[in-house]
Amino acid sequence: MQGYFNQIFAIVWKDFLTERKTRELFSSMFVFAVLVIIIFIFSVDLSITRANEVGPGVMWVAIFFSGAIGLNRSFMLEKENGCMQGLLLTPADRTAIYFGKLISNLGFLTLMEAFILPVFMVFFNIDILPHLFPLLLVIFLGTLGFCAIGTLLASLAANLKTRDIMLPILLYPLMVPIAIASVRMTGEILAGEPLSEMLNWMGLVVCFDFIFIGAAVMTIDHILEE
Amino acid sequence: MDQLGFLFAANLCVWGGIFFYVLTLKKRQAALERDLQLLKEESGKDGD
Amino acid sequence: MAEENSSKEISSSQGGLFWLTAGTMLAALIAIYVWVPTEKNEGIIQRVMYFHIPCAWLAFFAFFIVFVSSILFLWKKEREWDIYAHCSAEIGVIFCSLVLITGPIWARPVWGVWWVWDARLTSTLVLWLIYVAYLMLRGQTEAGSIRARYSAVVGIVGFLDIPLIHFSVLWWRTFHPKPKVISSEGLGKGMDPSMLITLGISLAAFTLLYCLLMGRRVALERTKDEIDRLKREKLYSS
Repeated sequence: MQGYFNQIFAIVWKDFLTERKTRELFSSMFVFAVLVIIIFIFSVDLSITRANEVGPGVMWVAIFFSGAIGLNRSFMLEKENGCMQGLLLTPADRTAIYFGKLISNLGFLTLMEAFILPVFMVFFNIDILPHLFPLLLVIFLGTLGFCAIGTLLASLAANLKTRDIMLPILLYPLMVPIAIASVRMTGEILAGEPLSEMLNWMGLVVCFDFIFIGAAVMTIDHILEE
Repeated sequence: MDQLGFLFAANLCVWGGIFFYVLTLKKRQAALERDLQLLKEESGKDGD
Repeated sequence: MAEENSSKEISSSQGGLFWLTAGTMLAALIAIYVWVPTEKNEGIIQRVMYFHIPCAWLAFFAFFIVFVSSILFLWKKEREWDIYAHCSAEIGVIFCSLVLITGPIWARPVWGVWWVWDARLTSTLVLWLIYVAYLMLRGQTEAGSIRARYSAVVGIVGFLDIPLIHFSVLWWRTFHPKPKVISSEGLGKGMDPSMLITLGISLAAFTLLYCLLMGRRVALERTKDEIDRLKREKLYSS
């Protein structure tokens, strides 16, 4: 068991070191997310619509779009330098590779969200500080679900010629539940409702997380098999 | 009786769709069979 | 010789199935357009239901077959299951498209709009997108073990997603206008027995149609495999 966690940690650490050296992933994700938010602000007139209603949707769209970029990028790097081959040659368990990539993707996306949240707060004039804790919980659960299914599909799409376009095409329809649930919950939290009011959404997201982490653990052997 | 038009359109779509799909299947099958026949003939020649 | 025999057997059983399907389809058509009385509230357009629901059932059934075959493929690694998954997905997408086309045509005169973001419509649309992506994935990878494994994973994940999609869109839009014949309390509630019988015949006819199409489509895939095998043989021998 100790060895298994060490394997996961080694993969996460490797990704973290690469990112610290290049700073490619984080900067491109963050700038892209900000651009998505700005374009939405231009296309939806905020003086007519209430920011509270549109805001959560825009924020999640920005997260999902830049998240897809991050997922694509994380496996592309492995592929380009033949790093995946190396990983597969090590005695590391396949599920450990999955969990390692999942945690590092989750980490980068969470970091990006930590920066995008203040931007969102300023641009939409929404005060998120009073609801910070439930909001963070909702964002974490949504991001986890997104990364769980995203990491699985990205590891699959990395071997395709058209990976840049296939990942979003496969990913977005599958994460419809998480998109709807996250946007709904964020909206309700910003409207001041307590978490206990949205237990059904919460249950849905937790189910999503568990089902797809489980499905990934069961099937990752068949994807990372050369 | 405006509804009749809609009913007709719906019917057209369903039966047209199914018919078109069957037709494509037939066409593809025929093309494949032709290829197969050619290949078999050629391999027969090579064998001799 | 043995091959020819088996292909003949297939074609003869296909012939039987064909006539059975044609007969049931004809019976269904007669029941739909001649026998069953017109529904009072919606009028004649309501007859769209008798092939709208079977198409939806067929699409869902086909996707279920994709799911089962995908699991069996990952378990046994036999090309057979990959073929079934592929063919079933294609037929499922065709019928899902038919549902998505007939839906608005039915909705327009009855609800007055082409499309409402109602739970059932939305989940059908998302389902369609998932399996179109599945077919695209198949189209963009070269035939072989990788394609089979990847698409099996997507086939499994896609089907697992269906209940989640269903609940999420159900809670997303709870104010949807209730269709009159298919109430959410249960199928057939408030339906005349004659309507139920017609729907039953139609369902049977479409299920048979699925078997027929599936047989054809699988035969096509087998021919393709045969050609590939011959080509490879030729390549190696020359």
